[in-house]
Amino acid sequence: MSAIQVTGLSKAYGFYRIFEEVTFAIHPGTCFALFGPNGAGKTTLLRILATLQTPSGGQCTIYGQDGVAEKEAVRSILLFIAHGTHLYEELSATENLQFALALRGQSLEPAQLKRALDQTGIGAYGNLKIRQFSAGMKKRLALAKAILAQPKLLLLDEPYNALDDGGVAITNQLIQDTMKRGGTVVMTTHDRNKAAKIATEGAILQNGHIQLLSPEQLQTHVLS
Amino acid sequence: MSFLNTIYWVVWKDLISEWRTRETISSMLFFALIVILVFSFSFAMDQDAARQLIAGIIWVAFTFTGIIGIGKSFTSELQNDCIEFLQMSPVPKGAIYLGKVTANFLFMFAVEILLFPLFVIFFNLEVVDSVGMLLLVFFLATLGLAAVGTLFSALTVQIRAREVMLPVLLLPLAVPVIIAAVEATRGILNGDPYNFYSQWLHLLLIFDIIFTVVSFWLFEFILDS
Repeated sequence: MSAIQVTGLSKAYGFYRIFEEVTFAIHPGTCFALFGPNGAGKTTLLRILATLQTPSGGQCTIYGQDGVAEKEAVRSILLFIAHGTHLYEELSATENLQFALALRGQSLEPAQLKRALDQTGIGAYGNLKIRQFSAGMKKRLALAKAILAQPKLLLLDEPYNALDDGGVAITNQLIQDTMKRGGTVVMTTHDRNKAAKIATEGAILQNGHIQLLSPEQLQTHVLS
Repeated sequence: MSFLNTIYWVVWKDLISEWRTRETISSMLFFALIVILVFSFSFAMDQDAARQLIAGIIWVAFTFTGIIGIGKSFTSELQNDCIEFLQMSPVPKGAIYLGKVTANFLFMFAVEILLFPLFVIFFNLEVVDSVGMLLLVFFLATLGLAAVGTLFSALTVQIRAREVMLPVLLLPLAVPVIIAAVEATRGILNGDPYNFYSQWLHLLLIFDIIFTVVSFWLFEFILDS
């Protein structure tokens, strides 16, 4: 069974069609990188998978659940790290993790939270409010959330933005750990070189259509 | 358990954030103080007229102060797209709604408790025997306003003109609560017997139940739209 099965998916805003008849499947235990120019609809496609937007047509099934009709079931298995980071500015890093995981039905010991913060290199800033964090630190905290949540499906929108080399390594480690657990990662990125090191499958979304890349093509696309 | 936990964590998050910024409470208090001062000076020469109108003045202050607090309830979720996080959380959305209602109610009720002594002082009210009943009216009316206001705050949060749209949409629906609150407050302050104003308390209770149940049910659709 595919982890994600997208069939004839289309999205339009009024008369403006972003993409149409997009069909692909992603297998469990893989990392799927979605490339494409600005405005091609990569983030929109990712947001549809995250159940944040409804497609204009077609179907997407996530681990056997319909992404539109069975939203709540899909939401319990995914975690989306978006541009917005989904962090509360007035809460500390630890409090943000506590709140985020509580709303996923997870209750964790302080030691577990500390370990995740240490793993992402921000262990010393656990009690600092998020409004004092840099963009890179916020991104690392979002990664800590994913480490603790251990989702079956991890959606990453431009995961390497704002991260230094250490942050990139932590991101790649998280992706690898997710794949090892049998989970699936879908990412959108412009950073083809960084994606090449970790992605196992890929596609280019351009002019409203998707072109799937074989492993060889994925490497060729990256190198070009 | 997960339902109650979600309510607890949403209230916890809103109270901690507010305690650290004091943004909502301070703007609510500042606005209410201005209202009290303006009305107090307007009726300085005619205390009898003031006593006739005091119930209305109290609820004008409480309602508009409440709208300021309710309006901020969901705008704080726009920062870092936190509203998406609430949307995607695999918990009953009704629990998020009840958590938000509870937090809004606590902010509004706290401000009302702080302001009421000022009304007593500025308008020479005699309330020693009726404080308990007045608090019951404040409790019921504030709950009704918080229940329907939280829903409209979520509905208007993504609209550009949300500061204008929230009172425009909320006030017509909240009119029954405001009228019932004014009538009950007037009856209590006039020293009327309980059965003279009890129907207004019943009306408040009925509206609280209707508003909470309907809003609880609608919230999921609004958050997801």
